[in-house]
Amino acid sequence: MTAPQRAELARAQTELLRALLADGAVPEGFDRDRVAIEARALLNKRRGVVRMVRPDLADTLGDRFRPLFDAYSRANPKHEDTRMRQYAAAFAEWLVTQGELEPPRKRRWWQRKP
Amino acid sequence: MDKLGVGIGWRAEIDLTVESLPVDFVEVVAENLHVEHLPESVLLLRERGVPVLPHAVSLSLGGADPVDPARVRHLGALAEALDAPFVSDHVCFVRAGGLDSGHLMPLPRTRDALDVLVANVKAAQRDLPVPLALENVAALLEWPAGELTEGQFLADLVERTDCHLLIDVANLYANARNLGTDVDRFLDEIPLERLAYVHVAGGVEHHGVYHDTHAHAVLPEVLDVLAKLRDRVDPPGVLLERDDDYPADAELAAELAAIRAVLAR
Repeated sequence: MTAPQRAELARAQTELLRALLADGAVPEGFDRDRVAIEARALLNKRRGVVRMVRPDLADTLGDRFRPLFDAYSRANPKHEDTRMRQYAAAFAEWLVTQGELEPPRKRRWWQRKP
Repeated sequence: MDKLGVGIGWRAEIDLTVESLPVDFVEVVAENLHVEHLPESVLLLRERGVPVLPHAVSLSLGGADPVDPARVRHLGALAEALDAPFVSDHVCFVRAGGLDSGHLMPLPRTRDALDVLVANVKAAQRDLPVPLALENVAALLEWPAGELTEGQFLADLVERTDCHLLIDVANLYANARNLGTDVDRFLDEIPLERLAYVHVAGGVEHHGVYHDTHAHAVLPEVLDVLAKLRDRVDPPGVLLERDDDYPADAELAAELAAIRAVLAR
């Protein structure tokens, strides 16, 4: 019954989220400054959650954490099926491929320090 | 609606504080709890007879997709486990095109968007064991081509779904400050007899834009909006939300006292 309305709403909401989360074009009729403010607010919130679930990344990266996370997040906006911990783990893997982070050394039981 | 009194949002980080504060009811974020493993602190509050209301943030009732039955089931199961009189979520969307916004996004206030919201709310209501209350959100941006005011949009939603309202006066203040929403008109347009309870929260102004952070003190201007609401109706409940940068217990107690003072005016 609501199929046509749903299709149009899906298009409009997707366009807005792409603009806010993935550097997509600002949809027609929106105030560009407000879209930028909302985009920053969403990024701040997501960065804060990643900092909370992976404080080790923030500690290791120091001042680089913020610009690196922001670049990662814009290029890889969080998918609805991705849990926050998975998203933070994917960011950590991306950091390794970018050469920003040493690959984690898996310590085996025979390598354990005495 | 049953009288709830003055409450605070229960959060794991401030569980002991919440237990010690003089509150009449609490709210829990539904997505943070497992029905099988409810926090001891929440169970303790239930044992004391304190109502615990599940508040959801992820149903995306204003989204284009039909509601996810698993999310509705979880909310309903939580309501039953906590013996809650009702549950709530927001008039918003959080998912679209596979992306997760991570925060409550405002809806276009068009009749078409309202049709979708109404269909989703009715679907959720069918699967919930208790009534559903819906909350107005704070917006930083406005959709173009709106056909209804926010008050009219909510009033139509209530009329068509028989849902209750959870009015967040900080969100209303934010929209007044950021989008020019007329507070008096909003309060005149919404059916206050369907008010379940009220949210109060803190925020901060940054470069001329008010951010509803839930991590700062409650502004006097927000209490003024609560007073305007109080002039029209004696709300069944008012709940303080604090989600981050938790202050000293005394500060939260003072904010609760300030809320009580507005209600007693």
